[in-house]
Amino acid sequence: MSNSHLFLKSGFPRAPLQNGVGRYVCQLQRITLKFCKNNGSSRGMRDFIENHLLDFAKENPGIVVYVKPRRHRTPVLVAEYLNGEREWMSCRNNTQEEISKWIDLLKTQNGNSSSLRLRKMWHTEVPSIQGPWTPFLLRSPEATGQTYPNAEASKPLDTPQTATEKLIELFRQQQLEAGEEAHDALNKKRAE
Amino acid sequence: MSFLCSAAGLLARVKLLEGSTTEQTRRNIKRWVSPTLRELAHRQKKLGPQKPERRAGFVEWNQRSELFAFSQRLGESFKVSQLQRAFTEKSFAQREEDRRRQLGIEESDLQMPHNSDLVEKGQHIAHAYVEAFLQHQLPKVPNDGHHAITSFLLSTETLAHVSSHLGTKDLIQSTVYPPSAESLAKSLYAVIGALASSSGIEKAFLFVRDFICTQLNQRDLLEVWTPQDPIQLLENICQERKLGEAEPRLLADCGKNTVLGAYQVGIYANRQLLGKGFGEDLKTATETAAIDALQSFFDTRDNRRPFDFSIHLKPKSVRLD
Repeated sequence: MSNSHLFLKSGFPRAPLQNGVGRYVCQLQRITLKFCKNNGSSRGMRDFIENHLLDFAKENPGIVVYVKPRRHRTPVLVAEYLNGEREWMSCRNNTQEEISKWIDLLKTQNGNSSSLRLRKMWHTEVPSIQGPWTPFLLRSPEATGQTYPNAEASKPLDTPQTATEKLIELFRQQQLEAGEEAHDALNKKRAE
Repeated sequence: MSFLCSAAGLLARVKLLEGSTTEQTRRNIKRWVSPTLRELAHRQKKLGPQKPERRAGFVEWNQRSELFAFSQRLGESFKVSQLQRAFTEKSFAQREEDRRRQLGIEESDLQMPHNSDLVEKGQHIAHAYVEAFLQHQLPKVPNDGHHAITSFLLSTETLAHVSSHLGTKDLIQSTVYPPSAESLAKSLYAVIGALASSSGIEKAFLFVRDFICTQLNQRDLLEVWTPQDPIQLLENICQERKLGEAEPRLLADCGKNTVLGAYQVGIYANRQLLGKGFGEDLKTATETAAIDALQSFFDTRDNRRPFDFSIHLKPKSVRLD
């Protein structure tokens, strides 16, 4: 993430009005195509209107299409969505193919998708169906019948070995080794 | 060669400079732009904050195609006259009639249809279907719970939310803009009524299921409805079902007599654990345990089977009286 994202609106991917749970409703409600009739920058838009606009309107009867010619201004797409969002897009010097791709994008989103930083790629209203954690969750069976104060349970879990204990352990080990040596020597003598 | 080129370039530049001294200097941004914008901003500030403009007042607006697109978008076939009527409010119709009367139009042409009877019809249908839906999906929940969930689903806020997300905000013809939550909710009822009268009551039922009942998706049912006195309700239910007397018992506690104390209480009937809950004191813990037991009785736990929003209820099972 760079610094330019700091002031970007952030959110989660959400389907408005539980869209698709009952039935799918296209979220683009109307689109306005603004263009100039003789400026070169509107050429692609004019071609699109001539060749593809009627097919688009027939395929998508749920989207109202307005065409607005205006003199010597840059061609523009304005999309209005059901959730009240409005998206403005300049199509200066775009070809008709580019414009039909942009319109396809507008048709499949519910707001300006590039103006929203997604915090996560998923979202749920029910983060856990197991309920909240309590001190009584997943207790060990020994802990149920215990009476307090309890000397065993009061000890810290990680007591390091003291120097005295280490010395005693070493001494015992030595004794054991010495004992084994003496045992071996005795066995040898017996064999002789 | 390069020297010659650069010399020629220098000569040309000198010529240009000479020309510019005689003519006026050229600016890319005109000098009047900034003061004009400043003046416009000043006037706008003086006017104060303005109300949002009615979308229907824009040049690019065609009410008829908007109505057609509205019905196509929802995958329904409305009669255009019915839909137009569903979006006309009574106050708006009256104002329009008064205006026409002042213009001197005859009394027989004055009648402007409005949506009040469609609202009533739609309200009736929505209420009946939501109750039937809940009866089918939550069969174990008592009537109180059904009433609470129905009133949540058919509350003005929920209906206004649904209505505005279907794009009715711009289509409603009312005296105020933006329309209030009540008029949004009423227009949704009117749309349901118009659908019933133009393509049959079953289509209206499916509309209610797809747009109103789906508001229950992923919603915590306890938030929508919590029994007022869970312990009393649990005792009544135990008596009805002959499960024995419900008695709360302390299962565990920790941090007694501290700020962070927690108690776990289980509710038993006839030596059977009905439910358990925890809380910061015994009273809360007992109530939570009772709610937990009720949830398992009513089958409304969080891990319950999700609602089926694709069911087709038979029109017979929906009580339209």
